[in-house]
Amino acid sequence: MTGAPQDWTRAPNVNLRQVGKPLVRTDVPGKAQGRTRFAGDHVMPNMLHAKVLRAPKASARLTRLDAAKARALEGVVCVLTAADLADRRAATDIPGQTGRKRLATDQQILVRERVRYHGEPLALIAAETLALAERAADLIEYDLEPLPGVFDPVEALKPGAPIVQGTDNVVATYKVRKGDLEAGFAEAERVVENTFRTQFVEHAFLEPEVGLAWVDENEVINIRVSTQVIEHFRAIADALGVAHNQVRILGSMVGGGFGGKEDVTVEIYLALLAQATGRPVRLAYTREDSFFGHGKRHPFVITHRTGVTQDGRITAVQITMTADAGAYVFLSPYVLLYAVVAGPGPYRIDNVHIDARAVATNNMYTSAFRGFGAAQACVAHEQQMDEIAKELGLDRLELRRRNFLRTGDEIATGYAIESAVWSDDCMTKAWAALGERAPEDGPVKIGRGVATYQQSYGRITWLHDTSEAWVGVEIDATVVVRSGVTDIGAGQVSALAQIAAELLGVSLGEVTVYNSDSATTPLAGTTTATRALYMTGNAVHLAAEALRGRLIGRAAEEFGVAPSEVDLAESRAFVIDAPDKSMALKDLVGICASEGIHRSELAMFRAPFTGEIDPETGQGRVHPDYAFGAHAVEVAVDTETGEVTVLKSVGAHDVGQAINPAAVAGQIEGGAAQGQGYALSEAMIYRDGELMTPSFSEYLIPTAMDMPRVQSIILESRSGLGPFGAKGIGEPALTPVAPAIANAVADAIGRRVFELPITPERIVMALREAEPRKGPR
Amino acid sequence: MYADFDLVIPETLDEALEALAGAVGGGNGGTQPLAGGTNMIVDLRARRVAPSRLVGLGRLDGLRGIRIADGRVRMGARTTMSDILRHPDLAGHAPSLVDQARVFGGQMVRNAATVAGNICSGSPAADAVPALLALDAEVTLASPSGTRVVPLSEFFLGYKRDARAPGELMTEIAWDIPPAHSSNRFYKLALRKGDAITVVGVAVALAAEDGKCGTARIALGAVAPIVKRATAAEAMLCGQALTPELIDAAARQAVDDVDPIDDIRASAEYRRHCVHALTRRLVTQAWERLT
Repeated sequence: MTGAPQDWTRAPNVNLRQVGKPLVRTDVPGKAQGRTRFAGDHVMPNMLHAKVLRAPKASARLTRLDAAKARALEGVVCVLTAADLADRRAATDIPGQTGRKRLATDQQILVRERVRYHGEPLALIAAETLALAERAADLIEYDLEPLPGVFDPVEALKPGAPIVQGTDNVVATYKVRKGDLEAGFAEAERVVENTFRTQFVEHAFLEPEVGLAWVDENEVINIRVSTQVIEHFRAIADALGVAHNQVRILGSMVGGGFGGKEDVTVEIYLALLAQATGRPVRLAYTREDSFFGHGKRHPFVITHRTGVTQDGRITAVQITMTADAGAYVFLSPYVLLYAVVAGPGPYRIDNVHIDARAVATNNMYTSAFRGFGAAQACVAHEQQMDEIAKELGLDRLELRRRNFLRTGDEIATGYAIESAVWSDDCMTKAWAALGERAPEDGPVKIGRGVATYQQSYGRITWLHDTSEAWVGVEIDATVVVRSGVTDIGAGQVSALAQIAAELLGVSLGEVTVYNSDSATTPLAGTTTATRALYMTGNAVHLAAEALRGRLIGRAAEEFGVAPSEVDLAESRAFVIDAPDKSMALKDLVGICASEGIHRSELAMFRAPFTGEIDPETGQGRVHPDYAFGAHAVEVAVDTETGEVTVLKSVGAHDVGQAINPAAVAGQIEGGAAQGQGYALSEAMIYRDGELMTPSFSEYLIPTAMDMPRVQSIILESRSGLGPFGAKGIGEPALTPVAPAIANAVADAIGRRVFELPITPERIVMALREAEPRKGPR
Repeated sequence: MYADFDLVIPETLDEALEALAGAVGGGNGGTQPLAGGTNMIVDLRARRVAPSRLVGLGRLDGLRGIRIADGRVRMGARTTMSDILRHPDLAGHAPSLVDQARVFGGQMVRNAATVAGNICSGSPAADAVPALLALDAEVTLASPSGTRVVPLSEFFLGYKRDARAPGELMTEIAWDIPPAHSSNRFYKLALRKGDAITVVGVAVALAAEDGKCGTARIALGAVAPIVKRATAAEAMLCGQALTPELIDAAARQAVDDVDPIDDIRASAEYRRHCVHALTRRLVTQAWERLT
């Protein structure tokens, strides 16, 4: 660890030819021309169609389930119920790589007796046609005896509350005890306390879950599926009771993930049906199935009590967090941990006290979602910063500047940041880019908001994360990359190609990447946690660098110079100071091939490995590193109707090094839209656990008509742990957007709505509280 | 999705009327007309309806198009929202109708959804209806035994109930071109700007005579079991020179003319608040154009 702040140069530290350029991503032509094959585009001869029957109640006892009529329907090949699955259970923890015991999260695959959430699967059907499968679902008879449920995490902690499973409803707790809270508050001249609430939200990826499974001649269960995580083959094998090498996951290009395809979705259902029937089985969720078929973003209730001096220095913060984990554990403990680590925000605060808990309810289970707890934490800490500024009469940006972390400062969990912290640069640039303020017009008020963040990239360090990639040069000097990484639409594969192209001196078009096959591509780990570029980019970098060394070494021999004098570019090897001394890369590779010089390399990249944090103080390293940045918006609020129009939206992020600035801008634009929906219109509403918003006519993501043009400002500290100093942008792009909008609305109307989404109605009600005489009655 | 039904695609209006004869409007198991399908397909998927036969009207080109002649606008029942947006003269006569088409569903829905389909859906949130009500539109209903014309204001009988006899098909929507000194406006309040179900829809049409308000129409969507006119509020404006105070009083009266419900989109209380705010705003804007 470095103790002192470093002077980060903004000059490029390498002479980059491919990296850092806004090249057309390798996945773009196929998508634009409709040639890309997604998992749902695959069919097989003799294939069956599957359907999942789901419970229409949130808390009930299954007293009878009779599939006889469904099984008797001609064309129905298989109906599976819990009775057919012996004692099979499925793990819901993240796939670890250490071989250590997972959290005890295994759950029933189909309802045995107890229905714990609306939509929990009762039966699986495979039939000759989809229409027959649907008809069979109608023919399955069952009785559900309603049971008392619990639908609010605070209620769930009270004595006498119904227990969702086990002995109590506490799913996970984390705490931070850093510094001396009492001393910190004693030093404070003001104490500001507020409570912020967030809602359930849905990932709403374009491509609902889909897959095709078949058992091959070696009894291997092959599953071609839309997933972020091919490493689930292990958990699937465990659930089926077969060896790990008997399950193969073949990914396809994924039509969006955002964390919603981070857990197992259709894989186990497909595997069970393929195993039971011996025939290929396809299962494609409808949008309604998808709403019921994967975990949502955790709603959080977060209270900040902040001590601050009159000149705006934060002396202490006490934070409590309660997250709704829903009916099953899934990734709740990790999401909670991320929320805790990011809890105070990107600020140096010496005295921190956090108590956080995730609580089981009979709501839909909650799990990974872009931002992963840190986004919810940001909604709270950034609104709190604005409230503190208001209390002190201090400029909102200035308050942040007086408290920003700097390199070498410790975050809440005691880890000292080693990379650049460009929060101030990002915030200042984003704010300046808002330009001239729009004029106000009658009841329409204009407001501005900004939010900054601290978002990890890379997985938790005690998971001992690794990633592998193989890079080879063909005899015609084209390049092949093999890596298990899944491409979920952010250009993960294209970035790997760009890195290999850079190091091996070829163009992007001369690199082919084979990815996402658990059997034949080296395992790269998950495309989650803003880790794909960091981890697998580094693995490709390591492999390509090794290969580059051999090629340059052999070329140097040929040129009679030292290897340090040779470079590779434009498919040629050449002497840097005498470029006329050069040879075609093809000729160099030919020499290597005929001399038996190894033209490929398998590399593993290892993230920093640590033990767990101290359970009593929460102190220790949790993540490899953090990204910092800001989002700023300008909004117009109609104070009569409460309607909000986002006029300007600017993301400014230090990504370390942009591998492809066009892809980075794509992430920032997507994050701006997803964050805007989170702030203003999106809510999965559960009433007594039952989903009230099961379609896109009730669940409102922003449309093109709702979005302003998004401006992306890319800063490059080249201080990250990723290839060429890259950090990450997948999650950071989203995290600050919603609080920036919340702050802008509060700025416009002079009142704050403390709960997301900030609907027109909530704005009107907040204004009405401010002026009780206003309004129709 | 699976649904079993017969699909009949008549070539002429007479064939269509014959195919529909005896159909029970809105019921399950019966025969129903199919125009743009933007409601029907959604309802079939959700199993809210289960007709045994659908009569597809897609080949009845005579039912589509907008004709403006002799002081009257005549719109074929199958005219789509996109047809309304593309018409060169309609924005001059009926900006309210064009404005609602602009915010009606998404682009694909606008290309398919028809005016009669929107009216006959019976939804209180049907966006074409407030504008047409405020324009005093009439609808033509046809059956094998003949046609009749019904004022749109008398068409809706209750939630999802209308004046169509079993087997009757709406063939035309028509209204007189508003007089020279008139103005009509529409506003859709929804939870997002594109492709959203209306929370409150307000259409206002005013005509001025000698510096006073001659006729006034205020039609309100999504705040009662049917789209309805705020007739008591209209009456307060007629024959008066409109002042901010009078407009505000009429807008408050409009709140008493409706009966909104709580749903997942908004509370009844918020809807009443917006009926007041938007009625006041639209009447003010319409009046400003006339003075």
